[in-house]
Amino acid sequence: MGALHLHKSYLDLLKIKMRNIVTIALMGISLNLFGQNMSLQDSLQINSNQRILKNLAGLPQGITLGGYGEILYNNPENLNSELDVQRLVLLFGYKFDERVQFVTEIEFEHVKEVYVEQAFVNYNLTQGLNLRAGLMLVPMGIINEFHEPTIFNGVERPSLDKYIIPTTWREIGMGLSGRLNGISARYQAYLFNGFLSHNGENGLLKGSNGLRSGRQKGAESTMNHVNFAGKFDFYGIRGLRLGLSGYQGKTQAVDGQNEIPGSEIGISMLGLDARYAYRKFSARGQYLRASLHDTDLYNELTGRDLGSKLMGYYLEAAYNVLPFNKKQRLVGFVRYENFNTHHEVGSLISKNEAFHRKEWTVGFSYHIAPGAVYKIDYQTKSTAISNSKKGQFNMGVGVWF
Amino acid sequence: MSLSSWTPASHSDRESKYILKQIKKSITSTFSFDSFSLTEKEQLLEASPFLEAYSFYNIMVEEAPKGYVMVATAPSKTDSFEYLLLFDLNYKIKKVKVLIYRENYGGEISSKRWLSQFLQSDPDASFVYGDNISAISGATISVKSITSSINYIMDSIQKLKSQNQI
Repeated sequence: MGALHLHKSYLDLLKIKMRNIVTIALMGISLNLFGQNMSLQDSLQINSNQRILKNLAGLPQGITLGGYGEILYNNPENLNSELDVQRLVLLFGYKFDERVQFVTEIEFEHVKEVYVEQAFVNYNLTQGLNLRAGLMLVPMGIINEFHEPTIFNGVERPSLDKYIIPTTWREIGMGLSGRLNGISARYQAYLFNGFLSHNGENGLLKGSNGLRSGRQKGAESTMNHVNFAGKFDFYGIRGLRLGLSGYQGKTQAVDGQNEIPGSEIGISMLGLDARYAYRKFSARGQYLRASLHDTDLYNELTGRDLGSKLMGYYLEAAYNVLPFNKKQRLVGFVRYENFNTHHEVGSLISKNEAFHRKEWTVGFSYHIAPGAVYKIDYQTKSTAISNSKKGQFNMGVGVWF
Repeated sequence: MSLSSWTPASHSDRESKYILKQIKKSITSTFSFDSFSLTEKEQLLEASPFLEAYSFYNIMVEEAPKGYVMVATAPSKTDSFEYLLLFDLNYKIKKVKVLIYRENYGGEISSKRWLSQFLQSDPDASFVYGDNISAISGATISVKSITSSINYIMDSIQKLKSQNQI
């Protein structure tokens, strides 16, 4: 039996309780399971007095509670340490019926900043195909969608997933999410609102972090161009999952500003990711490339230093040093990242070597229970400038339930 | 606690019809007969965190059992899902199929190729997550759940068989 016991049994108790409440609430309506319309043609005969499926426990309605959090300690070389409740995210879901569900995550960042990380309605059209609308995560790479602290190694998320993919990247949009069970694939295709590049006073996008400062996060966001985001995941080779993500569109500028050339830029982003696991070994990698168009015009108008191409990759290998059959896991890992927000620049600016970053991270994730982890690691960060190497020691606790 | 004392089902007509259609389709595509009936088996398996509920049937062709089919409910992270197990007369697994998967994440376990890892040559063999049952990144909780669920069912059936109860 798997390692889920303790964790799940509490959940199950809760679920059984909720189910009972739901059942009581529905008594009057009568659950018509097999009463009518069961005269299947052809040859399948079922005794009329059989209440087939009567014991299945599908939960048509109810509330889901969950969340994740990470409390971190960062100690950069020669500087003070920072201790921070980096994120605490509370998940609420409500199921209106077996096809319609609302999912939301309320996020507290650094204790005092409140965000809505996700808030969307999922409508199950057929088995394996969902229509979604609301505030959603943009499916790009691994971490933006799968960012709970117990499912990635390292105290901090990979830096690539901060500077190239602006994790947690979410905007309001709508689209389809589906599975193809025959070829072991999942696909997502959405129309989203895009980044804000100009707020009427300043250009928001810059060389040091690319698109990150342009996220609108669904807060009174402005839109004059629709953007497309899609992802295709393939998991038909045992232990391996491959992802191909794409993003295409234009940034937004506020009314009045958007007619001024250079206020908006075009974006094409491509991501490849791979995850592999077999017994005690696991590995993952990611490659990202973004082309930004009209950055010369943008930089001229705003005085910014936005690059015209962003590029980055990382590779990580991990090994669980505890016996395979134990519930706890002590995972040692090493990760190398190489990314550049000035991979290419337009003719108006020259490359800033400080934006070509290289990072090594070595550490341990100690999973003390499924859903609870202690983390410790050491990072060396350098840029393309010589003698730029700096160290940083990190510790953290993470939970997901 | 035996499962028969659990709360009555709360499936909608839509889900029930879908499940019945899938049962039929799975039987006809796996076995070479296409005329059969189902008779209910006694509920002898105990409740478990990994087997929230189930229905179990004999597949009868002209009064003779030809195999068995079970529809089981197992937990995903915050919801539950239904899957089907088709057995031959020796309780060897002939087919596994996820019928209804409700949660946003974890539905990757519906992959036909991945589920084929549960098809058995030896009814006594057990399934080990990460070893003979491969991991699926992004679906770990559901992968572990269905693996534990099938192991639990197979262990229970072995026990009942050894006691000549089924």
